Amino acid sequence: MYEAIVFSPLAGAVVAGLFRKPLGPKPAMYLTTALLFVSALLSLFALYDVAFRGHEVTLQLFTWFAVGDFSADWALRIDTLTAVMLVVVTGVSSLVHLYSIGYMDHDPDQARFFSYLSLFTFAMLMLVTSDNFMQLFFGWEGVGLASYLLIGFWYKKPSANAAAVKAFVTNRVGDFGFALGIMAIYFTFGSVEFDVVFDAIAANAPVTPFGAEAAVPARDAVVPFLNWNVNAIELSAVLLFIGAMGKSAQFFLHVWLPDAMEGPTPVSALIHAATMVTAGVFLVVRCSPIYEHAPYAAMFVTAIGAVTALYAATVGLAQNDIKRVIAYSTCSQLGYMFFAAGVGAYGAAMFHLFTHAFFKALLFLGSGAVIHALHDEQDMRKMGGVWKKMPWTWGLMIVGTLALTGVGIPGTPIGFAGFFSKDRIIEDAFLAGEAGLDVGMLAFWMGVIAAFLTSFYSWRLIFMTFHGTFKGPASDFDHAHDAPWVMRGPLVVLALGAVFAGVLFYGPFVGKGQEGFWRESVYVAYEDHGDAAATDHGAAVAHDVSETETEDAAAIDDAADALEGAAAPAAVDAAETDAAVPDAAHAVVADAAHAADGGPPRYVEHHVPDWVLWAPFWVTLAGFVFAVLFYGLREGVGAAIAARGGPLHSFLFNKWYFDEIYDFIFVRGARGLGDLFWKGGDQGTIDRFGPDGVAAATLLSGKRVAKSQTGYLYHYAFVMLIGVAAFATFLLFSARGG
Amino acid sequence: MDVATLTASLQLAAPEVMLAVGAMALLMFGVFAGDRAAMLVNAAATLLVLAAGAAALFYVPADGGEAFSGSFVVDPLATYAKVLIAAMAAAALVLSSTYLQNEKLAKCEYPVLVVLAVLGMMMMVSSRDLIALYIGIELQSLALYVLAAFNRDSLRASEAGLKYFVLGALSSGLLLYGASLIYGFAGSTQFTEIAIASGEPSIGLIFGLVFLLSGLAFKISAAPFHMWTPDVYEGAPTPVTALFAAAPKLAAIVLIARTLFEPFPVLSDEWRQVLMAISALSMGVGAFGALAQTNIKRLMAYSSIANMGFALVPLCAGTLKGVEGMLIYMTIYVVTTTGIFACILAMRRREGMVEEISDLAGLSKTHPGLATALTVLLFSIAGVPPLAGFFGKLYAFIPAIEAGLYWLAVFGFLMTVVAAFYYLRLIKLIWFDEAEQPLIAAPREANLIAAGSALVVFPILILPFAAGPGLELISYAAGSLF
Amino acid sequence: MNAFLLEYAPILIFLGIAGGLGVLFLLAAHLIAPGDPDPEKVSTYECGFNAFDDARMKFDVRFYLVAILFIIFDLEVAFLFPWALRLGEGGAFVFWSMMVFLGVLTIGFIYEWKKGALEWE
Repeated sequence: MYEAIVFSPLAGAVVAGLFRKPLGPKPAMYLTTALLFVSALLSLFALYDVAFRGHEVTLQLFTWFAVGDFSADWALRIDTLTAVMLVVVTGVSSLVHLYSIGYMDHDPDQARFFSYLSLFTFAMLMLVTSDNFMQLFFGWEGVGLASYLLIGFWYKKPSANAAAVKAFVTNRVGDFGFALGIMAIYFTFGSVEFDVVFDAIAANAPVTPFGAEAAVPARDAVVPFLNWNVNAIELSAVLLFIGAMGKSAQFFLHVWLPDAMEGPTPVSALIHAATMVTAGVFLVVRCSPIYEHAPYAAMFVTAIGAVTALYAATVGLAQNDIKRVIAYSTCSQLGYMFFAAGVGAYGAAMFHLFTHAFFKALLFLGSGAVIHALHDEQDMRKMGGVWKKMPWTWGLMIVGTLALTGVGIPGTPIGFAGFFSKDRIIEDAFLAGEAGLDVGMLAFWMGVIAAFLTSFYSWRLIFMTFHGTFKGPASDFDHAHDAPWVMRGPLVVLALGAVFAGVLFYGPFVGKGQEGFWRESVYVAYEDHGDAAATDHGAAVAHDVSETETEDAAAIDDAADALEGAAAPAAVDAAETDAAVPDAAHAVVADAAHAADGGPPRYVEHHVPDWVLWAPFWVTLAGFVFAVLFYGLREGVGAAIAARGGPLHSFLFNKWYFDEIYDFIFVRGARGLGDLFWKGGDQGTIDRFGPDGVAAATLLSGKRVAKSQTGYLYHYAFVMLIGVAAFATFLLFSARGG
Repeated sequence: MDVATLTASLQLAAPEVMLAVGAMALLMFGVFAGDRAAMLVNAAATLLVLAAGAAALFYVPADGGEAFSGSFVVDPLATYAKVLIAAMAAAALVLSSTYLQNEKLAKCEYPVLVVLAVLGMMMMVSSRDLIALYIGIELQSLALYVLAAFNRDSLRASEAGLKYFVLGALSSGLLLYGASLIYGFAGSTQFTEIAIASGEPSIGLIFGLVFLLSGLAFKISAAPFHMWTPDVYEGAPTPVTALFAAAPKLAAIVLIARTLFEPFPVLSDEWRQVLMAISALSMGVGAFGALAQTNIKRLMAYSSIANMGFALVPLCAGTLKGVEGMLIYMTIYVVTTTGIFACILAMRRREGMVEEISDLAGLSKTHPGLATALTVLLFSIAGVPPLAGFFGKLYAFIPAIEAGLYWLAVFGFLMTVVAAFYYLRLIKLIWFDEAEQPLIAAPREANLIAAGSALVVFPILILPFAAGPGLELISYAAGSLF
Repeated sequence: MNAFLLEYAPILIFLGIAGGLGVLFLLAAHLIAPGDPDPEKVSTYECGFNAFDDARMKFDVRFYLVAILFIIFDLEVAFLFPWALRLGEGGAFVFWSMMVFLGVLTIGFIYEWKKGALEWE
């Protein structure tokens, strides 16, 4: 069954790709879409089977390679985490395939497009089902390749090519870190198998990094990096996260995502909103055992995520391209996921990933419908008032926006999908901050501000696109209409998800059922009955301990027993490593001690102050109100602000000048360096003295030799006699006679 | 000398006797019948040369032994060389007929001179005495001098003949001086006697050897005695050049091998050093000199200089495998070069022969068959792997490497690379450039020989049948020097 | 110097005497002869006539042709002398050897005759 899930997209891609000439576009489209739906249905069953019936399984397909001690297998590791990703990937992918049948109707190259889409899906499935870092890397690069191909799908557009190259190159930066991370892991643990690595960390088993004299406990292992001796787990975690930053467009490596909107809109929905960009989040969650024991790396993740969430939201305020606004929104939401994972709220991160896939795909596909209806117009300043022409699209976009902005009533199970997941992330960040993790508190505040901005730009988008007066060519407006059902159907399905995914899955993902849901697939440090657990991930421990205690009395006792034993040495540990682990450690130790004393269990939902619970609600409302004021009531206010916005607007409009700075430093720097090596090194030195020089010297010698052929008889005779004399003299002095 | 030994000697020299008597008969016939009979004489001469080759192969026992008091020897090496010489000379004669008619050079002296040159070559490869050697060389050379200047109304041809003659006389002088030194210090002109005498080598003998070797190197146009080659190749009528490039080279290099291995085994350290220098110089001059050429014949002159350098590489090893390598290389070389000249002779325009490299442009479109044959031949002579030329170079370099002459082999490889440039340039012109003027139809015999030699150097076709027995044959031939 | 080369010593001596004698005569003429040149004495003397032309004039190539053809027969005679001396001892083999040689030359002679090389015009 799992083989069918993973390999049926591959089969579709191969058939559609290789036989597109004989098959023609229609069969290619229908075949790939049908295979994807098969895959999606099986995935739904898989989620049910694995997550709710507990049938986790790892299928070894065959060995990829085995070189010395280094081996990697092709395997399908199916646990809850994978199953969730399977549903997200195949679900969105199948809907996008269906949608694309309508969207790519007029494109001459449909078979290629569907082949790429299916290829991407296959690579993404390989990524999420991998049971070792090598296969993960394969899938990682595979989705990168598919992304490159799809961004540059309209390869005759120079901007699409440039965007594809930019995406690829930026991802290479991240992938470089990722590859280094894998190497660091292999260097430390001697294996790239998840089980081996994670078990070693969880059990703090002795490991022998290459070059080390003796085995040391895994969490104390030290590897040399750039001449420093660094904690192996911290190093691996940071390097892996750099890979995640590239793929998930986090701050510093986010620059490719907005440009990637050059690709067809279904691609944006599938790859650059719902699936590929979340691979980074998946990676962090999958590697939760590593991040649990790498507090600094986790803080780094949190900080980057929080900054991205805020940064992307600010930039989204000033963009005019409808897809770019949503792209920055994606970037921002990914930031939320990361800081959730960074503070140890893996369930919340995955939950947001899950709900976000629905409403973001909905928003992209909805905007695609608008773009499609307006003849490929993407500039919101040339839209307006089309809600009458396309009420379905308008309604569905409103649903997507409500989900994105997280509308819901705190304290009740009423709300859109984003409400449950995003608010939960903000609360978790607050809890972490309260538990002493400063960066968690920072993330909380940034998350709240970002939520306000999200609401503002989302409604701005709706108002600019659907309301007011139409500002484009009148003929476009007259012809605008709702998309056909083949496109509208997927939107409806996604809208249902955007409305109900949150309320339905809150329990299993982050609520009472989470223990039984995630089981072994997500690791939190307190489960480890080892000695250093308490010091390792302060915030998460505090949070999760308190949460479980309320749910299960037995667990309380267990944890209490465990921590009782742990607390004393941990306190000593903490004192010793005081400089190394900041305040969090103290807080945790205190908490742990508190828990061990058998103090009253704390229920998390109640522990969060009301103002924290309501903060997202109010800021979202505020954002909506501002959007109505600036864009909804009277047109032109926003434009006027933009026109007179001065440096702040320019700063936001130009995306904080990231492209310019990168262009100046990296692009021009690299080009200058390249020119130096090319003109100075290659042409000036190697070519000049190498191939060109030798060739020129050869030709010159040829001319010399030819010129020595003077035609004069006495020259010829002279050469002959010189030759005889030379040989005779040589033998006279060298031979035995001499 | 009694009648019995005379008869025995004449039997062993049957091919030479046939050629001598035949040449005189043809001369008489030609001079009485006039130039109208030139083509008849040409055909008869071709048959005569082939008959002489057949006689060497079938009538004379391959290991016949000595004749004429030890001055003349019939051994497998001589027989192999004679057959090959006869074949190449016959090919050159066949190639000449159309050309001579077109150029109004059809005279009955031409085939007679070729027959006499072949006679000289056959004597060269069979000589085991300095006097016989000299007579063979001079007989061959005098005939070739005249042939070079055969188109006596052409300034270039006359110049070529005169230069060839003067420098040839100089080289003969060197050779004779060397021979007299050797005779003076060894006390005999017979190789076997010299071999005994050189057991205690003296300076005089070494000097004699150097002079003798220089005189012989002139005949294979090895540097630094190569200077005549480009001018003579360019000036001489093309069929004569075709003859020059193949048979005399083979005869002279076999003679060199015999002259070095039979009388001077003791001095091998000395002559190997001289040979290495000659070989390296030839490869260098041949490879570099051809780069700047625009005339095909001139280019082929440098090519032959370089190829003689390659052929000398295995001889520098001074071993049996070295002689084998030389024979393999020369066999492939003469076939290839004759084929290339056949291609050159097949290219003709209304106003005359085509001799410029640029005239090859677009040959693939106007004459695809000819272009394919020429391409195969050029790839072969450049040493591109699947073709025979590659194996020739392989067998030429292996003995040198086994003898530890790494620098020579490496230098040879480098020169092969340089030489590949001008062969590939021709191929590029043939296939990728546009023709300026069309060529007129090629003579059939030129096409046949071009195609035949292209097939021979295309070892995919001949390897399974020929390679094994051919190598055995060559090994057998080379063995006669040891 | 080995015994074999000593056999050639007379030739060396002969060469030395011939060279020495030539030099001696030239020197003697210079030294012994009375020298009193005047223009008439040093001017070119040509059978009693005044010189028509420079001595380094071009000759007709036919002179060379005749001269070359003559040399061949000259050499033939040079071969005939030693052969004639030994004819009685060698018998038929010696006789026929020269006959073959002469036959070859005769063929050459016939050729040049037929080609008209011997006719002046």
